[in-house]
Amino acid sequence: MHLDPSTLPRRGFLYRELAALGASFVEVNGQAAPIHLAAGQEAEASAARVMGLADASALRRGGYKGWTALDWLRGQGVAIGDNNTTVVQDEGSRVARLADSEALILGDLAGRSALLDRVEAAWSFEGAVGAYPVPRPDTNFWFRITGAHAANMLAKMCGVDLRPRKFPDGAVAQTSVARMSAIVIRHDLGATLAYDMIADSAAAAYMWRCLLDAMDEFEGKPVGLGAVRALAAEGSSP
Amino acid sequence: MKILNCPLNGPRNISEFVWGGEVRTHPALDCSDAEWADYAALENNTAGVVREWWYHVPTAYWIIAERDTVKDVIVRTYPARELFKDRVVFEAPAKQEGR
Amino acid sequence: MTTSRLPAPAGALLDRAKPITFGFDGRSYTGFEGDTIASALAANGVGVLSRSFKYHRPRAVLSAAGHDANALVQIGAEPSVPADRRRIEPGLSVTPQNVFGSLAHDRAAVIDSLGRFLPVGFYYKTFFRPKGSWKHWEKLIRALAGLGKVDLAAPHGYHDKQYLFADVAVVGGGAAGMAAALEAAEVGAEVVLIEENPRLGGALGYARFDPEGGHGASLMAELAAKVEAHTGITVMLDATCNGWFADHYLPVIRGTRLHKLRARSVVVATGSYEQPLVFRNNDLPGVMYSSAAQRLIRHYGVRPGTRAVVATANGDGYGAALDLLEAGVEVACVADLRPERSDGALADAVADRGVPIVRGATVTEAVPQRGLVGIEAARVARITGQGLTTALDDRFACDLIVTAIGYNPTTNLIHHAGGRVSYNEETAMFEVTWLPETLHAAGSVTGTFALDAVIGEGRRAGWSAARDAGFKVGAAPAVPNDRGQRGVNHPWPIFPHPKGRDFIDFDEDIQVHDILDAIQEGYDDIELMKRFSTCGMGPSQGRHSSLNSVRLTARATGRTVDETGTTTSRPPYAQESFGVLAGRSFEPERLTPMHHRHVEAGARMMVAGQWYRPEYYGPAATRAENIRREVMAVREAVGLIDVSTLGGLEVCGPDAAEFLNRIYTFAYAKQPVGRARYALMTDQAGVVVDDGVACRFHDHHFYVTATTSGAAAVYQRMLFWNAQWRLQVNVTNVTASWAAVNLAGPKARMVLAKICADVELSAEAFPYMEVRQGNLAGIPARIIRIGFVGELGYEIHVPSSQGEALWDALMAAGQEHGIVPFGIEAQRLLRLEKGHIIIGQDTDGVTHVFEADMAWAISRNKPYFVGKRTLAIHEKNGLTRKLVGFTLKNPADPAPKESHLVIRDGQIVGRTTSVNGSFVLGKVIGLAYVAPDQAEPGTTFQIRIEGGRMIEAVVEKPPFYDPGNKRQEL
Repeated sequence: MHLDPSTLPRRGFLYRELAALGASFVEVNGQAAPIHLAAGQEAEASAARVMGLADASALRRGGYKGWTALDWLRGQGVAIGDNNTTVVQDEGSRVARLADSEALILGDLAGRSALLDRVEAAWSFEGAVGAYPVPRPDTNFWFRITGAHAANMLAKMCGVDLRPRKFPDGAVAQTSVARMSAIVIRHDLGATLAYDMIADSAAAAYMWRCLLDAMDEFEGKPVGLGAVRALAAEGSSP
Repeated sequence: MKILNCPLNGPRNISEFVWGGEVRTHPALDCSDAEWADYAALENNTAGVVREWWYHVPTAYWIIAERDTVKDVIVRTYPARELFKDRVVFEAPAKQEGR
Repeated sequence: MTTSRLPAPAGALLDRAKPITFGFDGRSYTGFEGDTIASALAANGVGVLSRSFKYHRPRAVLSAAGHDANALVQIGAEPSVPADRRRIEPGLSVTPQNVFGSLAHDRAAVIDSLGRFLPVGFYYKTFFRPKGSWKHWEKLIRALAGLGKVDLAAPHGYHDKQYLFADVAVVGGGAAGMAAALEAAEVGAEVVLIEENPRLGGALGYARFDPEGGHGASLMAELAAKVEAHTGITVMLDATCNGWFADHYLPVIRGTRLHKLRARSVVVATGSYEQPLVFRNNDLPGVMYSSAAQRLIRHYGVRPGTRAVVATANGDGYGAALDLLEAGVEVACVADLRPERSDGALADAVADRGVPIVRGATVTEAVPQRGLVGIEAARVARITGQGLTTALDDRFACDLIVTAIGYNPTTNLIHHAGGRVSYNEETAMFEVTWLPETLHAAGSVTGTFALDAVIGEGRRAGWSAARDAGFKVGAAPAVPNDRGQRGVNHPWPIFPHPKGRDFIDFDEDIQVHDILDAIQEGYDDIELMKRFSTCGMGPSQGRHSSLNSVRLTARATGRTVDETGTTTSRPPYAQESFGVLAGRSFEPERLTPMHHRHVEAGARMMVAGQWYRPEYYGPAATRAENIRREVMAVREAVGLIDVSTLGGLEVCGPDAAEFLNRIYTFAYAKQPVGRARYALMTDQAGVVVDDGVACRFHDHHFYVTATTSGAAAVYQRMLFWNAQWRLQVNVTNVTASWAAVNLAGPKARMVLAKICADVELSAEAFPYMEVRQGNLAGIPARIIRIGFVGELGYEIHVPSSQGEALWDALMAAGQEHGIVPFGIEAQRLLRLEKGHIIIGQDTDGVTHVFEADMAWAISRNKPYFVGKRTLAIHEKNGLTRKLVGFTLKNPADPAPKESHLVIRDGQIVGRTTSVNGSFVLGKVIGLAYVAPDQAEPGTTFQIRIEGGRMIEAVVEKPPFYDPGNKRQEL
């Protein structure tokens, strides 16, 4: 199965870089998602346990912002925790509270979010005064950073202590990474330490390069979403 | 590098923040030119505890910090809404047309 | 100095199974793994490492700890490497520094014999008359007085940075530091222990604490084993903490990485520097500290000489004497500066070995070998008073003089943190008298030398630091009362010699009389003395000169040492390379979704803030022709420019229009849905800070654009004001989520029609300054009819993930109409032809609305907008300058450049801001600030161009092109 990313109207921020790494793509949400890179899923999953980087930008995500955003979402049956924490919803999406006025919604590794489907259908200017959608899929890239060395590697780019003992699963850091504003969320994959990184889509190539450089000393490798799914399957991560 | 304790994000390197100047009270619209100039153009440059705006760039969040400029200590930080609680309404000063 | 290799067990840091061959000064030498360059050379009998800064005198090991400038060498492109710290590697090629000719026969060494003609302040006084002479002298002086060589062609090394986090940071891995780390870790604190040497131990590893000589090593092994086994302690060896910054932010350099360590509390256990005894020729190879001799023997298995004289004022000199004896060095004499018999088992043990001990005596001169490359004897005389000795002396043949007259605490980090020290006349030591909260100190840095007190103090500091970091602690560990401060420092180890060469500062070749001369000249404040004499300004930053120079200054000015004070210590503590500082610096780059299409089309990309944008398409060689082609395509057919870098802000809520009314100068309350309106932003001073377009898509929804460079600041300002106004409005920065293009030119509608099915595009249905939402080639789009370039145009915004597909669709649709992609340069000309300003180019930091001639953009019917009141005051006070359009009176004149000055009666009244040659108009057009009474169209004014020539310009009211603005409204 060979999918050429440039044949779809939605194009990933890194499709050229990924294609150059030998990626095989599958269509997810109307764009090409890198499912495997050249090494193949087995080798990539092994690499990802140590230090891996995957582009998850094709996966579903969204968010709402405004002075009634959290209340409106709660009214839609969304469970929201404290600021800078994440709550895993019953149907599998994760909801990270970014402020008293904003929540970020992340779908699953298959690219789905029944929660987003539902709240997006329910939303209107009139019906949700004070709660406004944030166009996360286009505003931000979404990387998954995986493996035992992930925290050490991130310490080369970020001044917040993200080590597991100080930064529990589900914790959110909105901070500066390699001098770009970014949202970093710890979300382990099975037994493997892992983080989401969500930041300016226009800087996707820049951040990708910075991460690969920082990962080098830990034998870090870019991996496909298949490897991320494989790690998640080892536990019960959505 | 100093640490500033953000009410939303906790202690962070101060390089994540942008300084926004002293917290000042907006004068009435019919104030004198001198009062206006004092508000719009002059900093008090207090030696002691000052109340300042700070902006956490990654979360686009304005906060207020009370900072001792003599001891170089950040005394307290809190959300802007603690000081600015109510909707501000501007109405044209009655006599403005006559000036 | 006849140095040689000792058999094991001397040389604890060596792996004798691993010989390593390296080069020095053109010859090849072999040492062992673990050797420093200096120790390996010493083991090979190499006596001279470098030449001194000013007099080119031979220099060699002084501290053997990387703390002095005597041992600085060059390795390839890397200058000023401490040879007594850097370990040898196979094939390392080391060259001596500051050498003319060879190390052994330096041609510039003749300067030494001219030394009396080179007094302190010599440069300041000699080379500045006649005026201009310095530039001739400078080259010669800089060539002679220098350290390493900088190789401008050196390849960039890989350096990077990493944050580190700890509850407690302990700086210094000696007895005190190890005890502190253990105590803090025991109560659960996460500890980082930083040690600049390759192993833990500090003085325990080289000093002698008992006559048998085993106590230090066994205590070191015990503590180090506990530290290394403790999971709560991270040990960083070969790591230097180079400063203390606010809130315990510590730069720790290890190899090519700068660690930025943030701790909650800090223990400074940095020890102390041994200090020099001042006598004639005290700088020669073969004169070294007791700690240096012991480091050479115990760490590196080097016998530092064959026959030694030891000058001491404390027990460490006797410890060194015992070590020398054990290493097979004959000790000709111990000169003890103290008149009374010193107690102590170490002194007794030396006496028992039959070494002659002379009390109340000092070395007064090292008798040099020919060429000053070593010593052949020491002169020892009785001390008769402060710095005075008898004229008669004894001459002891020797090749080694070991001195032990005291220490100066390594208080650098304590100073950086704001701690205070003062001089204790009784102990002749600087002592820490005040520490800031959550900073603690232990060991010899506090003047504590008794080993049990050092350990106790270390435990106490670790306990305090853990408590400060928020850990629950038990009872405070006790510190023994006798801290061993007495009998360590001699109060006056300075014996000036009538013939000089009695060095205070080895880095800068500063002698006793240089300090005294500086004071004589009136530089009697310690900071002035330092700068005039340069004492303490060399690479070792006063580590070996500060204490004695303060003592000298105090005596010469009749003040106490405490009154005299010390110079201020600032980071960095030790030298650091630019590579470490520059490191892996992050320079964010932002690319538009169409970036690769531009590159593929041959665009020359330029940097605009963090963005990359096409300057023009095509080769640089045909730049002007490329731009002309792009401009003419827009004027005559159709062009396409990527404007994705424009800021985008979604302003939503019931108060959205009220909010924009306050933020921008125009009126938005009655703006219908489906309309676009110009948006000019001023600050509270009425200064123009940004502009864009506000598009209304819903009663509660505006999409507002901002300039490329202003987007982040506009967002910040909007949030700032609403944090105070508390309106029901939400602002989201969506700059990166929208790709945008401007499709412009007479054929733009025809191109758009080909890919647009659901928006009626006729001029009647979709007129100028209106907005629509629809689908273009299946891509959801916001379409705005605006005309920055003055032609029929559509600014099209689509989700950024679909920007490339939109670009492809438009280029394909435009092919039959001759569509041409255009860059920034073409756009700059096109908009200038229309007289549109660029904020930040045609405005500066104080340009207000009236100066920019934009009063039309102000709504006067609303009570408030940011800047309104100041603008009212400006209007009342009148203008001092005004932005106008202009052309040249004489078309043959050269075009002015941007920022050329507008001159009137010899005074500057303004400047040009934009100038370009218009292809369609066939003339030079521009914008300039002029005096208000020069602003009427037709008025002539003068511009000073390159070479000072004045040319005449004529005011012309823009737009220069299509003054009726018919084309953009087609």
